[in-house]
Amino acid sequence: MTTSATARSGLPGAPPYGGAGPTSDLAIDIRNVVKRYEEHVAVRDLSLQVPRGAVYGLLGPNGAGKTTTIRMVLSIIAPDSGSIAVFGQASTQPGITDRIGYLPEERGLYKKMEVRRVLRFLGELKGLDGRTADRRIDEWLDRLSLRTEAKDWGKAKVDELSRGMQQKVQFIAALLHEPELVILDEPFSGLDPINAQALKDTVVELKQRGRTVIFSTHVMENAERMCDAVCIIARGEKVLDGPVARVKAEHGQRHVALTLAESVGDVRAAVAAVLADPALVSRVDDNNRAFELELAPGAEPQQLLHRLVHAGAPIERFELMHPSLHQIFLQRVGAAGADVTGIEQGMSGHG
Amino acid sequence: MDKKLLAVIKREYSERVRSKWFLVGTLIVPALVVATFLLPIYLATRSESTDKALDLVILDATGAGLGERVRANLLADPSRLGASTGDAAAAPAESAADQPDVQIVTSATLAQAESLATAAVMSKERVGYLVLDTNTVAGAFARYAGRNATTTSDLDRLRTAVRQSVTVAQLQQAGADPAMVNAIARTRVRMSTERITDSGRGGSGAASAMLGFGLAFVLYLAIVLHGQNVLRSVLDEKTTRVAEVVISSVRPGTLLAGKVLGVGAVGLTQQIVWVTLSAYLIQQAMAFIARSGGEAAAAVASGSAGGFLMALTGVGWETLGLLLGFFLIGFVFYAALYAAIGAMVNGEQEAQQAALPVMFLLIGTFLFVTEVVERPDGTIAQVLSWLPFSSPIIMPLRMTVIQPPLWEIIGSLAVGAVSCVGVVWVAARIYRVGMLMYGKRPGLRELVRWVGYR
Repeated sequence: MTTSATARSGLPGAPPYGGAGPTSDLAIDIRNVVKRYEEHVAVRDLSLQVPRGAVYGLLGPNGAGKTTTIRMVLSIIAPDSGSIAVFGQASTQPGITDRIGYLPEERGLYKKMEVRRVLRFLGELKGLDGRTADRRIDEWLDRLSLRTEAKDWGKAKVDELSRGMQQKVQFIAALLHEPELVILDEPFSGLDPINAQALKDTVVELKQRGRTVIFSTHVMENAERMCDAVCIIARGEKVLDGPVARVKAEHGQRHVALTLAESVGDVRAAVAAVLADPALVSRVDDNNRAFELELAPGAEPQQLLHRLVHAGAPIERFELMHPSLHQIFLQRVGAAGADVTGIEQGMSGHG
Repeated sequence: MDKKLLAVIKREYSERVRSKWFLVGTLIVPALVVATFLLPIYLATRSESTDKALDLVILDATGAGLGERVRANLLADPSRLGASTGDAAAAPAESAADQPDVQIVTSATLAQAESLATAAVMSKERVGYLVLDTNTVAGAFARYAGRNATTTSDLDRLRTAVRQSVTVAQLQQAGADPAMVNAIARTRVRMSTERITDSGRGGSGAASAMLGFGLAFVLYLAIVLHGQNVLRSVLDEKTTRVAEVVISSVRPGTLLAGKVLGVGAVGLTQQIVWVTLSAYLIQQAMAFIARSGGEAAAAVASGSAGGFLMALTGVGWETLGLLLGFFLIGFVFYAALYAAIGAMVNGEQEAQQAALPVMFLLIGTFLFVTEVVERPDGTIAQVLSWLPFSSPIIMPLRMTVIQPPLWEIIGSLAVGAVSCVGVVWVAARIYRVGMLMYGKRPGLRELVRWVGYR
């Protein structure tokens, strides 16, 4: 992870994926998977397909079963029923996990171990030979400025690194073996803006190289900007899935993005009155300056614009658009999503 | 071999061997062994070569010249001069102060002489004083008071001198030939013990008991130390959360196996260094002592040290192989238990608590070591040789003290191996679930459920 300028210089020594083994258009094919724990059902009858080469978002509130699903894909835990195929092969097939790179939500490294040795070890666990691993580690350390003229952090112990540097190391570990499928569980949590930007750049680059990237998140803005396709799950069940464009189209084009300059007193009250008119607006997401509005059935956008201008609203933006993933998420998962925090507590034990 | 398994073993091994604790642990044990080996020799030569014990006053109230006789006897004590007796050449080396003084007193002046002698001892002019009176002549008792009243070797010497003097005096009184009396007085008998086994091979009895103790202790130590290392390694992966990445790349069973084998290899390395380095150092020390000559060399030649070495070198390759087998079984058995515990707890403190039952098994076994040395064929020894948690310590111990029938040794190994398979299987299943479980430590019922998980 680094600034966007260096990120575009290319993944070290990575030829585009050429394809191996039985061919399948799907990177992941999950069918009717169920995972039950003593206290609750983590995943119930989940089916989803991730096409090869896609950037795929697994969205859902905390405790929805995202991590459990990811762990089942990686064969860390076994589903009670249903099947999971990775690149057309059963996910339990030996060697299949060598083609997957994984950045877990709970991140950690061997604290007392030298960075370079940690990376080589994790690379070897993915079937890399030591020499190849060493070469790539050098390239990555240079690229992420963990090795400079002044200091080679590769020779330092992990616990001598700052949090941000440790995140970089973890990221290298997930990508060192040049996996065809990269799974990132809540990759943005805990990242500073610079590392977050670098992560986005890298995801874009992985996509350009034909890799499949799956990431889970509950931050819809990231997903909206990055994903080709998404799946929203809540309480262990799929709420909806599909390409982002289609998902949004299916939820109508009767949304308005409205942004106002700072307004005071009377104007503010007048605008509030317009937005509160049920004949015009059926739903408002008020972010103080930016609003996302859903038009009431039968109401015309021009009508709304006219009323706002009339009320003296200092309009900066007025745009007719598809609903945002955020709105769709709230609409479909809604208040029900809120009560899953209780499940989350149980999840921390059972993942 | 599986490349991933190899990678896990390699990491466990190299990270451990590179740590400074490994270096310290590897060097400190040979140092201790050499110290415990050399200390008795040192003590022996010290107590026998210093003649402080001779710096005493003999208060002779017998009126029969017994004091002079005791004095002569003390000076002629062969232990002072190695094996030789009455060697005149040694006499000039004695300074006057080191010689016992005989003071002839009567029963009337005895009390006064005693208080004077006490003062002399208190002012460190003398080490002590010996009181001989008519009771002594009658063969009843003598009295000694001094700073070294607790030094066994000194007192043994005094006692022997007095006893012999009295015997000689009585013999002479009975009219025995003085020449014969002197010959009898010079008689010294040393008794050494030797062990006889089925194969007829000897060795000092005490030394083989010592070797047995040592072996049991080393096995116990190795199992505890390295078993806990496995626990720490598991716990470390769990608490740093690196476990999830690792388990996404390698099966938990492989990870567990690699850990146990890697740590076991470290243990084996350490023990090989322990044994070879100790043997080398002892050899060097012995050579040095022998070169420097004198009483210490004699002590080495005759003392228990030589016997210990004999017992050590008497160990054949078959025995070594069997011992290795017992170590491996014991280590794997306990390491698997420790790994399971590491996977079910969340921190060092909790781990110590949870590991207590395992510790009890080990300590409990070790408590019986003395009993087994004393009664190596007793019921307790027999039973403990078959139980998988105690056999890896008890059976090797018995093998050094007696020779259990081969079928018992092989049988015990087999039972151990089978139980290892079972324990490893259960531990691997607990490990697999526990590594990704955070929160409350599971109870017994929950553990059973973990084992049953798909």
